[in-house]
Amino acid sequence: MKKKHVRTQQPEIDRRTFLTALGWIGVGLSAAVAALGNLLYLKPAVDYGPPTLIRAGKPDEYKEGIKEVLENDRIAIVRDKKGFAAISVTCTHLGCTVRTSDAGFECPCHGSQFDNDGLVTGGPAPRPLDWYQVSVAPNGELEIDKSVKVTPGTFFTM
Amino acid sequence: MATSQASTTLSLKEKAIAFFNTLYRALFRYGKMPQDAEGQSYAVFNNLFLHIHSVKVSKHSLRFTYTFGLGIIATCLFLVLVFTGVWLMFYYFPSATEAYNRMLDLRSSVDFGFVLRNIHKWAAELMVVFVILHMARVFFTGAYKPPREFNWVIGVLLLLLTFGLSFTGYLLPWDQLAFWAITVGTSIAGYAPVLGEPIRKFLLGADVVGQEALVRFYVLHVVILPGLLSIFLAIHFWRIRKDGGLSHPNENETPVKGTAQ
Amino acid sequence: MREVNTKHVFPQDPNKTYGLMELMKGTKPTVGLQPDDMVFTWPHLLIRELVLFAIVVAGLLVAAFLFDAPLEEIANPNHPPNPAKAPWYFLGLQELVSYSAFVGGVLIPTLIVIGLMLIPFIDRKKIGIGKWFAKERALANGLFLTFLLVMGALIILGTYFRGANWSFVVPWE
Ligand code: HEM
Ligand code: FES
Repeated sequence: MKKKHVRTQQPEIDRRTFLTALGWIGVGLSAAVAALGNLLYLKPAVDYGPPTLIRAGKPDEYKEGIKEVLENDRIAIVRDKKGFAAISVTCTHLGCTVRTSDAGFECPCHGSQFDNDGLVTGGPAPRPLDWYQVSVAPNGELEIDKSVKVTPGTFFTM
Repeated sequence: MATSQASTTLSLKEKAIAFFNTLYRALFRYGKMPQDAEGQSYAVFNNLFLHIHSVKVSKHSLRFTYTFGLGIIATCLFLVLVFTGVWLMFYYFPSATEAYNRMLDLRSSVDFGFVLRNIHKWAAELMVVFVILHMARVFFTGAYKPPREFNWVIGVLLLLLTFGLSFTGYLLPWDQLAFWAITVGTSIAGYAPVLGEPIRKFLLGADVVGQEALVRFYVLHVVILPGLLSIFLAIHFWRIRKDGGLSHPNENETPVKGTAQ
Repeated sequence: MREVNTKHVFPQDPNKTYGLMELMKGTKPTVGLQPDDMVFTWPHLLIRELVLFAIVVAGLLVAAFLFDAPLEEIANPNHPPNPAKAPWYFLGLQELVSYSAFVGGVLIPTLIVIGLMLIPFIDRKKIGIGKWFAKERALANGLFLTFLLVMGALIILGTYFRGANWSFVVPWE
């Protein structure tokens, strides 16, 4: 009788276990891909929020040393000897809208205080108010890009 | 003609009664108020809505001063909230420009609109209170001990869902209270490391509370969270039965003196 | 008419088919025994549920006619109220957030939720079940009561003792 090939050792895992594991891996992967797809779907892709590019009028409309708040854009335009800055009026603590004060800004919600450069001088706010990039649009108006933050103290000069 | 057949066939009136009896029996198989053990068993056992209960319950679990009915009250409040909530949906509109007007209309123009809104509001506040009280009673009576560990965990999920429902509902009137409470609340979520900002974005659909946030909160509030809560509530009740009814002093390791075995 | 054997809850009916309803752990068969502290759900439990439901609905109706749910002015992103407060059940957390946003808003709530879920897996000894404030469980009950009281105190502090700029105010002044 011709000797058939005989396995000398049992394999570590048999075929059934292997295929079952493969099946489960397939199910797991599909579930993961489906979950990821659903999460990506829910992630806001189109920005339906307020626009990030803001035209703020001609530079000479702003007087030196005055903080002009553009309420609907939630920024304050500051003109200084050094130039222009756009400072966010959204409190870095929990998102209330800050008011201007003699010393700078103050938040009515939980009493955070900021100086004229938006640096924290008191209260629970963890970081200074955001500064946004300022530039001049081709038509000569100031243009603020709220999607680009700059380090506090970076003034835009003409 | 009719008189000659009367002895063998039923009169019209008898036929009608028999027909309605058949109908009635098709709906309620075990009579109006079953008085015997069999009827009372079947009344619960064979009814879709009642069979979340077991046929018999221990007297101990019925003592008002044991549960103070807190879980039942929370359930009742949830049912009331579903009912009034669906009714409010007929007028409410999740739009940043319309929502507030609809609240004013509900208050002044819609017949009984203020009643539905008030009930919904007060029931929502009370549900948070009663779920917390219910949790406290479960703890102070040691009712989370084996085999009820899992039901306690389901309970914690129910507590979180209750908070979630209340919180998402808070934004919908689109008044000052709503707007700033949600601004503050979602900013807190933003502080979580790594996941904080994505979660905030997911909830708001934008960087700030606005129209997108209103729609997202609306969907969560009227579909997703009540759906999840109903599912977990079903598991909660099912577990009570599978764990042998409510907790009971006889389950203690050292048997209480005087219990017959 | 079907004959009902009133001695048994479920009659021994030869035409009945049986299904497995539940497997129970136990040391002896209890078929046919009626545990003496059990009563029928219908009507004993159902009547209690019905009464509670009626009380809840009646109470809500009375409350709805007597007290109007609050409605402030329309939302205005430019004018935050002073102070801005979260819903009452989150005011304890907001109080903590006023010390540290991360600790109060993220760390402590996460720990509370995880802690709550772990309770039944840590405290597993089957003592003091089914009794209010059982002496055997004084420690566990004491800890949980402390937790509830601290949360309650924080909520009361956040609700009544915090005024403009989140500064401490005394409500009766
Ligand atoms: C939507 C919220 C909830 C509803 C509607 C609800 C409903 C109920 C009901 C009707 C019962 C029957 C006994 C009773 O009335 O006390 C019960 C029992 C129970 N609940 Fe809840 N519950 C909720 C949340 C919770 C929470 C937050 C916990 C704990 C974290 C919890 C843990 C338990 C446990 C362990 C039992 C069994 C108690 C025993 O065997 O004595 N539940 N629940
Ligand atoms: S949001 Fe400004 S201090 Fe809290």
